[in-house]
Amino acid sequence: MHPPSVGAKVAQVVVSGAQDRRAVPPSVAATDTARRRQRAFQRRRDRRGLWFVLPFFVVFLMFLVVPLAYSVYTSFFTTRMIGGTVFTGFSNYTQALGDGAFWTGMGRTFLFAAIQVPIMVIIATFFATIFDMGVARFGGAFRALFFLPFAVPGVVATAMWGSMLQTNVGVFVRVFLDLGLPNPNFFGPGHLLGVIVVIAIWEWTGYTIILLYTALKSVPRDVVESAIVDGAKFSRIVTRIKLPIIRPAIILVVIINVIGALQLFTEPYLLSPMAPNVSANYTPTVYMYNEAFSAYAYDFAAAIAVVLAFIIIIISGVFLFSQRRKGALV
Amino acid sequence: MSTATVSVPSSTGTRRHHLGVAPDIPLQLYGLHRRTINLVTLACGVFTLFTLIPIWWIFVSSTKTATNVNSTFGFWFAHPFVLWSNLKEVFTNREDGSFLVWLRNTAIYAAVGGIGATVLSAMAGYGFARFNFRGKNLLFVAIMAALLIPIVAFAVPLYLVYAKVHMDSTMPAIFVPFMISPVSVYLMRVYAGGSVPRELIDAARVDGAGEGRIFLRIGVPLMVPAIATVFMLNVVSSWNNFFLPFIVNNSAKIYTLTQGLQVWFWHTNIAGTSENFTAITIAASMLSIMPLLIMFIVLQRYWRGGLLLGGLTG
Repeated sequence: MHPPSVGAKVAQVVVSGAQDRRAVPPSVAATDTARRRQRAFQRRRDRRGLWFVLPFFVVFLMFLVVPLAYSVYTSFFTTRMIGGTVFTGFSNYTQALGDGAFWTGMGRTFLFAAIQVPIMVIIATFFATIFDMGVARFGGAFRALFFLPFAVPGVVATAMWGSMLQTNVGVFVRVFLDLGLPNPNFFGPGHLLGVIVVIAIWEWTGYTIILLYTALKSVPRDVVESAIVDGAKFSRIVTRIKLPIIRPAIILVVIINVIGALQLFTEPYLLSPMAPNVSANYTPTVYMYNEAFSAYAYDFAAAIAVVLAFIIIIISGVFLFSQRRKGALV
Repeated sequence: MSTATVSVPSSTGTRRHHLGVAPDIPLQLYGLHRRTINLVTLACGVFTLFTLIPIWWIFVSSTKTATNVNSTFGFWFAHPFVLWSNLKEVFTNREDGSFLVWLRNTAIYAAVGGIGATVLSAMAGYGFARFNFRGKNLLFVAIMAALLIPIVAFAVPLYLVYAKVHMDSTMPAIFVPFMISPVSVYLMRVYAGGSVPRELIDAARVDGAGEGRIFLRIGVPLMVPAIATVFMLNVVSSWNNFFLPFIVNNSAKIYTLTQGLQVWFWHTNIAGTSENFTAITIAASMLSIMPLLIMFIVLQRYWRGGLLLGGLTG
């Protein structure tokens, strides 16, 4: 899973574009020529803003847009041992879309996202609310503690959990045995996805708590105060005032995490030597990686990546759009 | 607008967003039972346990010999206590790459990636917030749309492009992509929009200052809180990144820590590996998370600021 730093704030951003188009200070000279000259001057000066944006945009273009375009381009070709690279149109796509191995992995990541994201968002919302309202003792200390896993790379997090759950020898397995319980196989086909869910929850809950906490803290105090004066109960303040106000934040957190979850790679890949159940097509990204670097089928891998990107963009787009129509996002 | 208040306007313009967090409303006003408070604190305790278990385990395990890691109780120390010799081995082991080299590489990537992302996004954010050039909104939407694109969609193609221009397995191939952070551009734009007054810029222009000078002398000092947050966020994400370096770099000399640890971790799972290697890998993993953990604890108060997600609540 990739860092949810990919904060998908697109919908909101589109709106915020309007915010800084404020009126130009009125010119003192009211004659037409003076006004026109001022406007021309203004335009020239405003054009200089491009210079500030340019450095970022050049890097953005060269290292993100170009590879993306190349990815789409190369997905229309096929490289064969004999015959070299030939244009094959949509054949990589028909192959990917008709490939059971791809869809098995895709289904698994859907399941993963459907389990991991709701559980984590609910836990995070619970704790963010508690910290925001100051309900728990030592709230500040807990908040700092919960955030610590954000400092741990996914590789190390997976190595730690993997070692603790390792078949026969992991500390959790030994605890089970010492308690006289049957020897659990955490990496068995029925449990493996659950293990990855736990690892992902461990990695990202603290970060999500901070995001939601920040949003909750920005809810105007007077709204809550007047609700208290009106005699609203704690639960009502949370469910009827606070959470509805931060709904955009919750929606964006969900999208960020769904995007991350559907790209699941690091955790299963790292676990694969311990867990034979991580197949070559365990997730679409694992599949893509194996196709690219084990089978050297770069074109097919590019097609898988494009299909996955489309699926992710469509899902987040539909979700954003449905929320927007309800008037919740903006 | 007074220049002293650092407030961030929301997209709807209704929210006052101060960096300092307002004091909590006294609890008794909510009419909660003491029992509820105890229960909630207990829930926090349970989640703390969950959070700390792996960190505690890796700390304890890094003090053990390889045999003891799995043969003694995992959550408590055992004799002999070999933390120091494990750490020494981490730095001297050359079996499958050098930890010290990876550490140095990662420090370079995190610093250069962090600084680069901060500089580029501060400039872009300021440009977007304070100038109305043609095509501005289109450009901004294009950058933000990139947030929806999964990293897997361009990682392999990026590698192929690198290979074409003979840039694969070079250090810039790893750290330059770290500098692309649309979220940072967004945060900087929102923050610059709220904290750098147009009047101040215009006054400096009247005084004859160039745009670059105005940015450096007026914009940057006023954007310091945003710059600090964005820098920290990008250092952390560069330090922890795995997938991108993993795809675009296969030269062990310029591995990131995460790449190197992945190799070591896999190595420990191959039959016939010297047992001691497990202990070394555990100690190395423990060591690799220390810099950021310490940074988090030291800089803890900066993370609670309202800036992390800028104008998230509309």
